Amino acid sequence: MNLSHGLVNKLVYLAILILMLIPLFLLGQPESGTSERSGGQLTQMRDDFEISEADLGEINPASETMKLSSLGMRGVAASILWNKAHDHKVHHEWDRLRATLNNITLLQPHFEKVWEFQAHNMSYNVSTEFDDYRQRYAWVTGGTEYLTEGVRQNRKAPTLIWTTGWYYGQKLGMSDEKRQFRRLFAEDQPLHERIRAEGIDVDGNESLGPDRKPDNWLVGRQWLKRGYQLTREGGVPIRRKTPLHFYETGPKWLINHAVAIEEEGELSSAAQRAWQTASNGWINYGEETIPTTAEFTIRLGEIDELARRITEQQAEFDELTGAVRDEMRKERIQQLTDSQRALLDIPDEERTDEQRGEVTKLELLITPKPMEIAKRVPAKDKLKAIELAAAMNYTARRINKVDGYRQQVNYEYWGTRALAEQTSLMVEARRLVYEADRLNENAELDKAIEKYEEAWGKWAQIFENYPLLVFDASSDDLMDSLKRYRTAIDSEEFPDDFPLDEFVEKRMSGAYSPDEYEALREKQRKLNADQQRQQDLLNLDFRKMMSDAQGSVKAPEPTEAEEQAAEPDGAETPSESKPDGEMKQEESPAEESPAEESPAEESPAEESPAEESPAEEKPAEDSEAE
Amino acid sequence: MTLQPEDFWSYSEWLLRPDAFLQSAILQGIVLAILAVLIGLIIGYLLAAARKGPSEGFYSVARVVRDLFVFDLPGTSPARVYALGRLAFKEAIRRRVLIVAGIFVVGLLFAGWYLNPNSDDPARLYISFVLTATNYLILMLALFISAFSLPADIQNRTLYTIVTKPVRATEIVLGRVLGFVAVGTCLLVPMGVASYFFVTRGLQHDHAGIEEIEKVPDSSGQGFVYVGKTTYDRNHFHTFTLFEDEEGNLEGVTNIARGHQHIITRKQGSDDYVIERPLPLTARVPAYGDLYFLDRTGQRTESGIDAGYEQRKGGYGSAGLERLIGRTSEAKRIEFGYVEGGSLGAGIFTFPNVTEAKYVEDIPLQLNLRAYRAHKGKIDRKLRGTITLRNPDSGAVTNARTFEVNEYQVDDYRIPLVLPGNDGENNRDLNVFEDLVTDEGTLQIELRCLDRGQYLGMTKGDVFLKPQETSFAWNLTKAYISIWLQMVMVISFGVMFSTFLNGSVAMLMTFVCVLLGFAAEGIYDVRHFIDSNQSMGGGPIESLIRIAKQDAMTTELDVDALTSKVVKGADTAIIYSMDAIATSLPNLPKMLGTAEYAASGFDIFGSLLGRHITTTLAYFLVAFFVSYFCLKTREIAA
Repeated sequence: MNLSHGLVNKLVYLAILILMLIPLFLLGQPESGTSERSGGQLTQMRDDFEISEADLGEINPASETMKLSSLGMRGVAASILWNKAHDHKVHHEWDRLRATLNNITLLQPHFEKVWEFQAHNMSYNVSTEFDDYRQRYAWVTGGTEYLTEGVRQNRKAPTLIWTTGWYYGQKLGMSDEKRQFRRLFAEDQPLHERIRAEGIDVDGNESLGPDRKPDNWLVGRQWLKRGYQLTREGGVPIRRKTPLHFYETGPKWLINHAVAIEEEGELSSAAQRAWQTASNGWINYGEETIPTTAEFTIRLGEIDELARRITEQQAEFDELTGAVRDEMRKERIQQLTDSQRALLDIPDEERTDEQRGEVTKLELLITPKPMEIAKRVPAKDKLKAIELAAAMNYTARRINKVDGYRQQVNYEYWGTRALAEQTSLMVEARRLVYEADRLNENAELDKAIEKYEEAWGKWAQIFENYPLLVFDASSDDLMDSLKRYRTAIDSEEFPDDFPLDEFVEKRMSGAYSPDEYEALREKQRKLNADQQRQQDLLNLDFRKMMSDAQGSVKAPEPTEAEEQAAEPDGAETPSESKPDGEMKQEESPAEESPAEESPAEESPAEESPAEESPAEEKPAEDSEAE
Repeated sequence: MTLQPEDFWSYSEWLLRPDAFLQSAILQGIVLAILAVLIGLIIGYLLAAARKGPSEGFYSVARVVRDLFVFDLPGTSPARVYALGRLAFKEAIRRRVLIVAGIFVVGLLFAGWYLNPNSDDPARLYISFVLTATNYLILMLALFISAFSLPADIQNRTLYTIVTKPVRATEIVLGRVLGFVAVGTCLLVPMGVASYFFVTRGLQHDHAGIEEIEKVPDSSGQGFVYVGKTTYDRNHFHTFTLFEDEEGNLEGVTNIARGHQHIITRKQGSDDYVIERPLPLTARVPAYGDLYFLDRTGQRTESGIDAGYEQRKGGYGSAGLERLIGRTSEAKRIEFGYVEGGSLGAGIFTFPNVTEAKYVEDIPLQLNLRAYRAHKGKIDRKLRGTITLRNPDSGAVTNARTFEVNEYQVDDYRIPLVLPGNDGENNRDLNVFEDLVTDEGTLQIELRCLDRGQYLGMTKGDVFLKPQETSFAWNLTKAYISIWLQMVMVISFGVMFSTFLNGSVAMLMTFVCVLLGFAAEGIYDVRHFIDSNQSMGGGPIESLIRIAKQDAMTTELDVDALTSKVVKGADTAIIYSMDAIATSLPNLPKMLGTAEYAASGFDIFGSLLGRHITTTLAYFLVAFFVSYFCLKTREIAA
């Protein structure tokens, strides 16, 4: 008899099943570990994109179980859990919220935003629902521990590491409860244990505050450093964060640490050291390469080097094409209207402001651009001119980028601030004000007034040296202290020869305009440059005496030194020693920022590269200067 | 858990609802029963008429009804019921339902992966996990075994072997239901015992020892006490105070951390501090009072200040039959009312039945308040409030006693029986029962907030007197009884559906009923918004359109006018019918909610269980009669 219908059907089904097994096998075969490209298509793709579990983070059996048991409806399960989490939050059921959040991460362990969102939820939203500051602290650290687990499960997520560092710093150190949080953190030994277990150094000098206990800002910075290692050395790309701000936070945390310990009354050499470290960190940050939106990378600290370079390039270009430029200028002036030409003829001192504005616009019209000049240059120099013009263009673009990025992070301000705060003058002034405030609180008015008056003298000097600091947060509290002083001396007005009259006036008059701030910065730079020159002269004399005493052994050096003097030299200073009070080397990065003017105001090739070590320039300049 | 109005009714209040009879349970039950009977009869008649013609159909329906009351009900024999029950039991066991117990044990073993060890109140977490897991497993079990047995019999024609015996339809149905209930109970009891041990053992822990201890003078200045703290184990530590007795032994109790305390002792002459196991869990039996508020100017209001927290959902279900007849009411929810500090604002609780017999040593007042800081205030100090006792009749009032607010835990205050105060004329010491409790036995307690510009939140269910405690084991048993009742209900429904539907379809129908029970509050919510003409996303079809077009809930529906009308009309019809069905079905989330009581450490009061028993009995009877009817008519047809 022929095969019955049922049997045939079954055989057909069996055959189809076996056939379908083949593509399944090709796709889904796991790695056999023997060769490079073992395993099916999917396994290989997982390898290529580095998204297999072992690549992304540790393999968590609970997570795998939960994902499998959702039978393909992981998204549905996750949505239900998110809903439940929100319900728990509305009902103030905090432990169930925490349990649900843990379960969410079992389902979605590699979705970075989940970790960030819920950690933020816990640290910033849930923590504020509590009345007791210790419970708030527990929830803030609950959020950071949550993030820590996220970091463990996502080995290639620098953003998560950065966020952890951010929370340790900003949430513990900037919230209203910062004093209490910082104190709790310093004493939270079980937490330190857990952080240690993650490989973060909690016991080294870099993480300890002046009381030899871990400081939240510094521990946060350790986290950030780990992130920086991952991106710089590990080559993992930074996603969803601008590199400029990503790398800024580490040094910023050092600055915030110094500010914090001074607020808490630590106003001794420990504070100075903290500011020194902060200044070093900030300058190192300026020396690191930062990718930009343009095709080149920049360093924030290279502005002066670039300024020098463009001056030189400009000089070289002018030498080559000066005549052509003048010619072109004359041509363009010919094309102006009579009234415009008349404007140009008026000397600068006699112009009104409006006329000056007009003249600036005219200058833009009549001044030919380097490329235009280069094209008009006669054939034999044309190629060189064009090359120079292109180089000048490039340098100008770089300067633009660097300047813009510096402004974004307010690089110069923080550099100046860190430098100023390091000085004993500043620490002394702060200490006096702090002690005076404490005496005032204890109603010892006479002593308080004495200390206040001493302090005002010092502050006046600081503002003379650093006019930039008049309008900034470092002197915000000063206004409060001045008010207390006024109450203590029981008078509405300040005495006539009050040293801080100018400061008070400036502050009372309200916010400054950007132009005023610019002017302040110029003034600051000039001051710093003057002081710099004085220091250089002092140093020069000393060195001269030394070299004379040593006689002709030094003779071959000048030529070398002259060469080196001509080269731009941007790579030093930051790592050199910074003994307390030596303004010269410390101020150089700050003062050099608008470095275009320093060559202009001093004779070229003399002191323009002021950060060069005196030993190099001294012999050559000495002869010229004297 | 925030108690809702229906949690405060006594059994008779729930049943009869004297001031809102339309919402009462008894009316709902009777109306639903009558409706079910009528609908059943009509459908029966129509079916019979379709088969046999109108007059024949009428007679067959009448015959079935007569059979029920004349023959079958009186003639139901317990022996036969028992036999059929045994049969159902054996059948279920043969279907390997004991696997459920296996799954439960496996779940318990791996619970540690999913339960957070660092939680603030592990007792609550463990108990609610265990109860929820049991609940869902048992419901699924009930679903499966009840829905498949009868249809299997019918398909295999083995039903005829039973039916040809002198067995009544009532006995078949009853036998099956009881058999399955027995299987469920046999599974539930060991699960309950296992849960009990899981919870108590899971919470058991030791502290390695004492971290630090020092001798300080006590409050009277005469003697000494020892204060210190234990080691940090299991993510917490305790502080403690030890007292020395005459023999030189030290004894004391730790503070409450993570919901438990330990007793610490040290024998005289020994160096070891013995830290005993955590004190056993108990269930509180609270005595609630009525609450009204005074606003900041001292005027009486019913609800306190709203601090702006997001409102919870639900609260419609207690409206009973009013929903069916079309009168929807607002959600009746209890939210936290806040009292402003530094003003005349207060929350005033009136407690009835305050007698000397109940409160022998002192009055234990338990508070579960919330603190809302409108400004940071003093960061390192908790918010403070005051407690004042008063007699509303005679005007006697005690001096204010200050306390600090401990949020998210139940705070215990012992109010002594003799307090300084003013009896209306002079300042003297007042006795609670003589001066402050009225003749009817009521006592008023007033809560105020001390810190200006801050707020204290309270509800009726969060401030109570605690006359006694019961054991945790008994409370857990009551929770399991509630699970057992849900199981009985689901089994009844399952058997009912299986009498006229195919096995899988019956299971699906039962599952749908369970699901509708869970979704009921959501459906009521949607209907409320449709009725009050608020645009909150609309019914099913409108929501589907909005989801597909990715529109928000509150914008106008982006279709032309005619389509909009049709959609809204259809939605209204759908929602109203779903509302009617959901109201007829048992309110399962409420029954599931008894786990909350156990988890939070509150006694599951008698009236609650009483309500569950009544509801289950009612639904069981309805299901029983429907099943009988279907089986009888089916018999005839087959």
